[in-house]
Amino acid sequence: MFFLRYLTREMTMNPALFARDMTQILKEQLYQQMEGDCNGEFYTICILDVTDISKGRVLPGTAEAMFTLSYRAIVWKPFRGETLDCMVTKVNRAGVFCEAGPLTIFVAQTNMKAGMTYNPDTTPPQFSNARGDEIIEKGTAVRTQIMGLRSDVNAIMAIGRMSDSWFGPLPD
Amino acid sequence: MAASNFANQTFDESEEEDEDFNPQPVAASDDENEGVEGDGDAGPKPSRSNSAPRVRPGNDSEDESTLKRRGISPRRRNGRPNDEADEGIDDELDGDNGDDDEGEGEDLNGGLDDDDEDEDDDEDEEAVTGRPRKRRRKGGLNQFFEEEAEVDEDDDAEDDEDDLGNDGFVADTHPDDLAALPEGTETDDRRHRELDRRREMEASMDAERQAEALRERYGRRAAAALTESVVVPKRLLLPGVDDPRIWGVKCKVGKEKEVIMSIMKRMQERQHTKQPMQILSAFERGAGPMAGYIYVEAVQNAHIENALDGIMNVYPRSKLNLVSVKEMPDLLRVTKTEELQIGAYVRVKRGLYTGDLGVVEDVESNGLSVTVRLVPRLNYGIDEDDKNPMLGVNAKGDPLAKRKRMNAVGTNVVATRPPQRLFSENEAKKRHQRYLASTGGALTGKAWNYKNETYEDGFLIKDFRIQHLITQNVNPKLDEVTKLTKGAEDGTERLDLESLAQSLKNNTAENSYQSGDHVEVYDGEQKGISGRTISVAGNIVSIRVEEGELAGQVVDVPMKGLRKRFREGDHVQVIGGSRYRDEVGMILRIKDDRVTVLTDMSMQEITVFSKDLREAGDATGDGRLGNYDIHDLIQMDPATVGCVVKVDRESMRVLDQNGSIRQMLPSQVTNKIEQRKDAIATDRNGSEIRYGDIVREAGGESKSGVIIHIHRAFVFVHNRTQPENAGVFVARCVNVTTVAAKGGRATAADAKTNMAMHSKNGDGAHAPMAPPKSVGRDRMIGKTVTVRKGPYKGVLGIVKNTTETTARIEMHSKAKVITVNKDELIVKDPITGQTIDMSRFGGPRASGSSRPNYSSGSTTTSRIPNDWSAGSRTPMGAGDGGRTPAWGASARTAAWAPHSSSSGGVDGGRTPAWKPQSGSQTAYGGAGNMTSYGGTTTGFGGSGGGGGGRTPAWSSSARTPHAGGEHGFSTSDGFDSFASGGRTPAQGATSGSRTPAWGGGGGGGSSTFSAPTPGKPYDAPTPGGARLHEDFPTPYGSTAPTPAASASTPRFAQDAPTPRGWEAGGGNAPTPTAGAARGANTEPLLNSRFEAAPTPGVGGGMTPAPYGSGGGVGGYGGGGMELMRRRLQLGWARGRGISIVMRSDDSDSGSAGVGSFVPCWAGLGGLGWACAVA
Repeated sequence: MFFLRYLTREMTMNPALFARDMTQILKEQLYQQMEGDCNGEFYTICILDVTDISKGRVLPGTAEAMFTLSYRAIVWKPFRGETLDCMVTKVNRAGVFCEAGPLTIFVAQTNMKAGMTYNPDTTPPQFSNARGDEIIEKGTAVRTQIMGLRSDVNAIMAIGRMSDSWFGPLPD
Repeated sequence: MAASNFANQTFDESEEEDEDFNPQPVAASDDENEGVEGDGDAGPKPSRSNSAPRVRPGNDSEDESTLKRRGISPRRRNGRPNDEADEGIDDELDGDNGDDDEGEGEDLNGGLDDDDEDEDDDEDEEAVTGRPRKRRRKGGLNQFFEEEAEVDEDDDAEDDEDDLGNDGFVADTHPDDLAALPEGTETDDRRHRELDRRREMEASMDAERQAEALRERYGRRAAAALTESVVVPKRLLLPGVDDPRIWGVKCKVGKEKEVIMSIMKRMQERQHTKQPMQILSAFERGAGPMAGYIYVEAVQNAHIENALDGIMNVYPRSKLNLVSVKEMPDLLRVTKTEELQIGAYVRVKRGLYTGDLGVVEDVESNGLSVTVRLVPRLNYGIDEDDKNPMLGVNAKGDPLAKRKRMNAVGTNVVATRPPQRLFSENEAKKRHQRYLASTGGALTGKAWNYKNETYEDGFLIKDFRIQHLITQNVNPKLDEVTKLTKGAEDGTERLDLESLAQSLKNNTAENSYQSGDHVEVYDGEQKGISGRTISVAGNIVSIRVEEGELAGQVVDVPMKGLRKRFREGDHVQVIGGSRYRDEVGMILRIKDDRVTVLTDMSMQEITVFSKDLREAGDATGDGRLGNYDIHDLIQMDPATVGCVVKVDRESMRVLDQNGSIRQMLPSQVTNKIEQRKDAIATDRNGSEIRYGDIVREAGGESKSGVIIHIHRAFVFVHNRTQPENAGVFVARCVNVTTVAAKGGRATAADAKTNMAMHSKNGDGAHAPMAPPKSVGRDRMIGKTVTVRKGPYKGVLGIVKNTTETTARIEMHSKAKVITVNKDELIVKDPITGQTIDMSRFGGPRASGSSRPNYSSGSTTTSRIPNDWSAGSRTPMGAGDGGRTPAWGASARTAAWAPHSSSSGGVDGGRTPAWKPQSGSQTAYGGAGNMTSYGGTTTGFGGSGGGGGGRTPAWSSSARTPHAGGEHGFSTSDGFDSFASGGRTPAQGATSGSRTPAWGGGGGGGSSTFSAPTPGKPYDAPTPGGARLHEDFPTPYGSTAPTPAASASTPRFAQDAPTPRGWEAGGGNAPTPTAGAARGANTEPLLNSRFEAAPTPGVGGGMTPAPYGSGGGVGGYGGGGMELMRRRLQLGWARGRGISIVMRSDDSDSGSAGVGSFVPCWAGLGGLGWACAVA
């Protein structure tokens, strides 16, 4: 789910950069560091604007200056139970990996619809049911539900399921 | 358990009466006489024997009466398929109480009236116990019978009374009387009845059939009896002071069961003799705190002595411990004995195999012994004394006795026993052929008999008594289990989860529940409730119920009926005894108490018991083994390194540099190689790769992933989506190609510091650009040089030979040849002794000698790493150099822009290579320029002075013929092109201001700098140039610099100064990046991450352009779509891949806002999200 959030971040700046355009540099750094970044809870998709840059405080000992930047950003946080459309990026015996934007979701075979079996002989390998009307292979757009999420320091992993009839491959 | 008279005969009221009159021995004789009919005591026993072990020969009058009643009831209820233990006891106890009452009453009043009253009382008070029986009778037999029954009760009462009085003498009543009694005392009816019955009984002597008949007749009332008897209040059933006592009798520890068995046997033997056992019951409580005791119920302790006299292993003459009345019920509390199941793991307690793990193969039906599979410890007679080959063989011979003595002395056997090894018939045949016999059936052929032991499939199959085995908390270790695991037919190892389960279930590890665990009760009274644990005390867990009626309450439940509750998708960690201990993963599915978990590390599915799981914090548990963590690089032996791909409890799996997997113990590891994040290697294309970069295999499966280690020529790459080896694979550096450099690499260093400052200060953070390599004879050879530093400082000599970095110098002073770094040489004019600037030499030499100069020039700020070797032209090199997108990014710093705009000269100064000040002295200028620059310049020259000016090299190095170019400097454009061009010819092309970025730069003048061309152009090293260089070493000379250039430039010339031209001509031309950049600006969507330009440049594409313009935001024009386009970026350029998003820069924020943000199909190769700004 997407959220618009007001966030702050403390940034340090090397004294070598103290100059007229410090704020610009700070912003650039912020953009660079934060956009696309994941803090384990959400992804920062896009920084809309920087609302405030505090006065710099020189840190004792290092001579670097610390600024607190307040900014407004669009963030994306996946939730358990959330349904997402995503694209299959990898298929193996155990299941498929899908990507919904930055998030990789693993859907185990057991969490697919009944009857979906792994078929390694096709190219690319695929999961398909007996009738052959549902095929999941690399590149397939699928709808999946997030079953569980795991946060790392800078990443989120998810497992999902497609076991209900309204999940699975999306019509073109 | 219970020793009793198992007489299944029916029994008769009349008899009871009689019995009442014949107390102690009579009861038994009763049985005897009647044979079929049995005595009252016998009745209850079968029912009791299940549960309440008691021996009741029925000697006590009081008790007898009760017994009789009991006898009636259970007897009547014989039909009940399974008499429940508790109930049996209840009945008994109840009966006791009731009878007591009766008895007391009688004692006091001693009259029939009283009896009647009592009877009434009985009926009233014991409604539950007495009544049912009567009812039953009513229902079961005819009215007449009921009358009898009532009379019977009367009689009972009387009996009781009598018994009380008689207690002492009854013994002398002869059992034969019993038979006579009915005639004399009872009514005709009774006699009739008895006769009938007797006939019946006699007809069928078979007790079982009889029982069957009874069951048939009365069985249907079982249900009624059940329901009614359940209602009895328990306190009425408890034993009182008047009941027989229970004594604890010492016995040999571990022999309890045997003692009871022999008591039972004796009981059976004696029951029909004139001296039956007088004890009522005997039982034991098995191992545990009450081991070493059996408990005997008797009226007097003298009876116990009589009964137990001569029985092995029990010591009735030692002090008998009287069990207090209060504790009696506790003694009978039923604890379910853990039944060993096939497949469970056990440990041997004593003997040769002490402590060894075994698997239960078979369980004897008596529950006393089991067949266990062990890994044998045999030495096949190797240590046998030749003179005495029978040692240890003949179980009865002396040798063994010797051994036994050893045993007794200490643990010698354990200390000196042979190691565990599977049985080998070949070994056995060597020395012990005679003890070996094949017993295997035709089917297996793998069973052997060796020294009277059986070996199957290499395992020892041996019977053990259960008390010689440890069955609880066995905690099998993985290696033990592995040893014990039978290989499958195909040789693969199959771990038997089932058997593991069996033994693990026996583990009641108290720490398996921790407060806060989410649990549910699946067994016991509280079945079905769920909640969170609050505390754990021993085996009792307090739960705060979260659902249902009890929500909010705290409930204590025993641990055994408890299991942890998880939801699918929960992130859990494996704890406890599982072999997957410490794995962390997410739950895929749950079935009963089996949970399938997808591990985080290896992406494999494992199945464990829910009790072995607990919720894992988001912070993943450390999958560590000692010092070694997953993905660590370790030194396996001096020549081999490997990456840890799996950490088990005791061992780890390591992927070595050759791609093979090895299982290692931590102790086998030489040492751990610390992560070197600054390690750099070159890929197949010569591009630089380093930690964190995304690379793809050039051949094979084209696997791709992120570099986690670079070690010499190998890269260890990690790819989460690849299941095998925890996603790690190894490749040679030369077999991978870079896909994306780690995001913002160059910025990592550069963004922190002010580039402008940098260049001015020339702090030397960046090594100077190495000149292109030349091949052929080194021009240093034959030169007169002096050594600049080191032990040979000041030595003058002649270079005899060189390598890339060193020179062998023949000293003038003495006949000796020394080897010195080229860096440390100063070339002298042999005649004048004047120093010759080595930079002029160009080529490799130049690079060496010129460096010092650099430093002196203090402008060595080249971004290009030192190791820019031949390969340096590759994109990678470029990447590092400012040209990469990152570079571009850094270029954005305003600092640049102003600078560049301010004066061309200054600009030039920034690039280390160019160093205006140092001028041509820089090796760069020299080396670098010569090739490409030369080309460009000439071209430029052709086009116009300005053009010429562009090549920085030229401009900087005034000495170059193109010094004229300096004026070229003034045009910032030229500068750009130069900057870019300077490094590679291709660059020039890229620099072509067509890319928007360039365009911008061109306009701003300053921006040129920012125009970093992503690496691609570097791919196009102009070999020609290099060669030219070679051929015309003189460019430096300044004499003929141009010819070289010109020579090299047929193309150039034609291409003309404009980078574009070059592009066209070169064919390398448009750097993909440039394209990307352009695309990024104009048609962002077309450049989804999936299509990302091949170069790391995607990022580059995006960054340099917009930013490069310095402050020229305005240049981009208005809001709306244009704004959007401008802002659209390929995010996650760091290789995460992603989406297209935009931001409204605050500088323009007036016109920008977030309208809708729509995840959508980006229509090109992949999914992305685009967001639109309203």
